Amino acid sequence: MTLLDVTLQIFRYKPGEQPHYDTFTVQVEDTAHVIDAIDKVWAEHDHTLTFRRACHHSSCGSCALRINGVEKLPCIARFSEVWDGHSPLRLDPLRNFPIVSDLVVDVSGFFQRMSASTMTITRDAESTLPLSVDDLAAVVQPKAVELPDNLTRFNRFENCIECGICMSACPTMAVDNKFMGPAGLAAIYRACQKTDDPNEKAHLLALANGEHGVWRCHSAFECTEACPQAVDPAGKIMALRREITANRFKKTRRS
Amino acid sequence: MANLEYPKVRRAGRWFDVRRRKLGMWAYALNRITGIGLVVYLYLHLAVLSLLLRGPRSWDSFVSLARAPYFLALDVILLAGILIHGLNGLRVTLTGFDVGVKAQKALFGALMLVAVVALGVAALMIFGG
Amino acid sequence: MENPFAQEPRASSSWLWQVITGVGLVLLLGLHFIANHFIAKGGLRDFADVVAYLRSPIILVLEVLFLVVVATHAMLGMRALLLDFGLSERAERRLSQALTAVGVLTVGYGLWLTWVIIH
Repeated sequence: MTLLDVTLQIFRYKPGEQPHYDTFTVQVEDTAHVIDAIDKVWAEHDHTLTFRRACHHSSCGSCALRINGVEKLPCIARFSEVWDGHSPLRLDPLRNFPIVSDLVVDVSGFFQRMSASTMTITRDAESTLPLSVDDLAAVVQPKAVELPDNLTRFNRFENCIECGICMSACPTMAVDNKFMGPAGLAAIYRACQKTDDPNEKAHLLALANGEHGVWRCHSAFECTEACPQAVDPAGKIMALRREITANRFKKTRRS
Repeated sequence: MANLEYPKVRRAGRWFDVRRRKLGMWAYALNRITGIGLVVYLYLHLAVLSLLLRGPRSWDSFVSLARAPYFLALDVILLAGILIHGLNGLRVTLTGFDVGVKAQKALFGALMLVAVVALGVAALMIFGG
Repeated sequence: MENPFAQEPRASSSWLWQVITGVGLVLLLGLHFIANHFIAKGGLRDFADVVAYLRSPIILVLEVLFLVVVATHAMLGMRALLLDFGLSERAERRLSQALTAVGVLTVGYGLWLTWVIIH
């Protein structure tokens, strides 16, 4: 087993201070992932480094950030894959989110969007927490999830781990604060697939049909490229467009 | 809670950052840039056509200007903008209705190839007289 | 306060019209090119030729249609770009109105120009 000396150039920001990069060198095993190096920087060099991490196996979506400008999950990014062996590795927070501190971004706007299609499952305690700095800040009222009589809990099956990488990669999210975003729209598509209720479906499609819904997408496909879980948000957006347009023609034909 | 937010004007320019982006992003940036160029051209063209109001002498002298090589070169650039914008626009239309989404990169490549060939043929015709 | 993303927004047809006019332009621009640069001798028309060209009823219809479709497509395109400036809902509506006005003026100017040339 070989040891690597890696240099990380990490974006730093504390409220009231100028953003800048700090450089750290740590030693990790050659099979290590980038998150392990970030952990070491915190442990060995700077306890003020702020970052998110949890599961270490691309299931929670917490650690998402940019490695050399490209969105990735550092918990599954091996140094052999992302590092050229000598240059410093640059770490930046996700784009298109307000930055809280260092590598941590404010994701409340993100969860607002996901809640619109009720794809998030929020526990009672969480539903009373105030959301923050986005100028569209609101307190989310989650819809009560009704279970059939013989069930006490259920598993959701979908690929999305709500990491926010697609939102960071999207050029429309970069300019439009009201855009539902690839994650939000993919969630609407998924919610449409899961329901048999035509009214619910109509409501979901209506959510996506606005000026800042599916129609703002410029077909850059960056979201699908960047997604670590093969959600294919761009494909879902196009599928939604097709369904919305088909419904429109059906309506005009009937009338 | 403090945060780093970008002012509106700076944020509006952020679509332009194509560094380390993939093909679809380049296509989008190209379409937007050619689109802006073509809008400028639209009004330029209307302004030029207004020379017709001044009668035959003004217009005909413009026409002889329009045959000069540098002018023809500008025409070729214009045509390049039209072909890129139009053909990529077809890709946006198709994928936007969920047609050919999985092949969107190949579609871009194929259509840009058509654009290059068409431009080549057109340049030959324009400069060939 | 409600979640703004959970409110059903007004349906938008602008993208649909953008692609319809776009596809229309592939056809109309093609015809415009053929009529102006392939049929005309030497690829460009002198003054007398232009007048004769515009006096043909089929050509007139083609060029007017072309003008309307291209102005619509251009205005919709500019609108898509300007929406990136993070405008309020009211500002967005004002923008749409302003661009409609510019479009109408553009078409109007083209029609007036054509009229004067023919006569």
